[in-house]
Amino acid sequence: MPYWPCRARAAKDAALMHRFANPARFLKIARPLTGWLFWSGLVLLLAGCTCGLFVTPADYLQGQTVRILYIHVPAAWLGMAGWTGIAVSALMQLVWRHPLAAVAGRAIAAPGALFTAICLATGSIWGRPTWGTWWEWDGRMTSMLVLLFLYLGYIALANASARQGAGQGGVSNVTAIFGLVGAINIPIINRSVVWWNSLHQGPSITLRGSSIDMALLWPLGLTLLGFSLWFGAIVLMRMRAILAQNKVEARMQRLARG
Amino acid sequence: MHQWTFVIAAYAVTLLGTAAVSLISWRAMHRAEAQAETLANRP
Amino acid sequence: MKAKHQRLILALVALAALIGAGLLAASALKDEAAYFYAPGDVKAKGVEPGKAIRLGGMVVKGSLKRAADGVTMFFDVTDGKATVPATFSGIAPDLFKEGSGVVAEGSFDAKGTFIATNLLAKHDERYMPRELEGMSYNETTRQLQVDQ
Repeated sequence: MPYWPCRARAAKDAALMHRFANPARFLKIARPLTGWLFWSGLVLLLAGCTCGLFVTPADYLQGQTVRILYIHVPAAWLGMAGWTGIAVSALMQLVWRHPLAAVAGRAIAAPGALFTAICLATGSIWGRPTWGTWWEWDGRMTSMLVLLFLYLGYIALANASARQGAGQGGVSNVTAIFGLVGAINIPIINRSVVWWNSLHQGPSITLRGSSIDMALLWPLGLTLLGFSLWFGAIVLMRMRAILAQNKVEARMQRLARG
Repeated sequence: MHQWTFVIAAYAVTLLGTAAVSLISWRAMHRAEAQAETLANRP
Repeated sequence: MKAKHQRLILALVALAALIGAGLLAASALKDEAAYFYAPGDVKAKGVEPGKAIRLGGMVVKGSLKRAADGVTMFFDVTDGKATVPATFSGIAPDLFKEGSGVVAEGSFDAKGTFIATNLLAKHDERYMPRELEGMSYNETTRQLQVDQ
């Protein structure tokens, strides 16, 4: 039954994917890329923060506190993008048995959790002077807190399964399934301010435009790109650490066997 | 000035968090790769 | 059928079922998970006096009045469908002003006035410099424009 629409294309895709599945090939690209991503990301995010703190004007309503936007929004984006990355790696691990996917999922979890925590912390600090409260159980805040708990659960599961030697330093299939199931929270976070009455305002930037004036908007592009590049560098560092640990463990086992 | 306290607190939390994760990730990578290197070079 | 394809289809079906279930549950929660009642909801469904709720909407321009004691204030909350009178004694957040959003915690009294015990300011998704104050955001053109 020719249910697969384009066999040749699929085979080519698989070949392309498996070329990067080889850790040696991956490392050849990852080694120089780590430094580039890290330093360019750092320069961009520091430039964005500096401009956001000292160059842009204050908001008509909120005054100076609007400057928290330049770190709060990238943190929210990366917290959600991180889990999307975990879900995609989980799918690649479960379906294609891609050896690097399991390693990538485990590497993404820590910076993803960090940014989710930063998003909650900066949101709380922003909420006090604007809304008049540190914390409220509205849809956006609650679903973001759930994301943090999902990350913590994933990290605990991933560490436990890596210790048991599942998937060569990567995560077990159960952990991958957890990563896939948790992805349901991502559209809920995104839509929470539209579906439910919430204290958090609606989305400022949509496909149709932005309700943030250009005079205030531009440093956000710098910090979004900067934090994203930095995130990529951290993921590569953590993947390299896991791959090197695998090598050490394999070597030790061979030595022990004599 | 009151508003700046909140702004500075938010930026401090963010920069401390990113710096800490940078340092931890780099050290873990550096240590593991150095260990792998010494093992590989052992006769 | 290759095992890989079987796994792919299984995973995609499971994912689709999961997302469907999640979205169904979320939309079923639509009313229960609402953080506040809008005046229109209060009018449509009715909220018994004394029941602790949150009321959210816009503070009607020109409705804010302060009592002689300096801490008690009276204002109207609207969502375009209905308007509800409210009163609050205490310190309001800096961003609480006429024409701006508010979420009030409290309950209705027997006469239908909302007695707020706490006020939170809700702002909208517009951000702009002070020079542009008075401009508003046009939903259809997606541009900032000068208010008429």
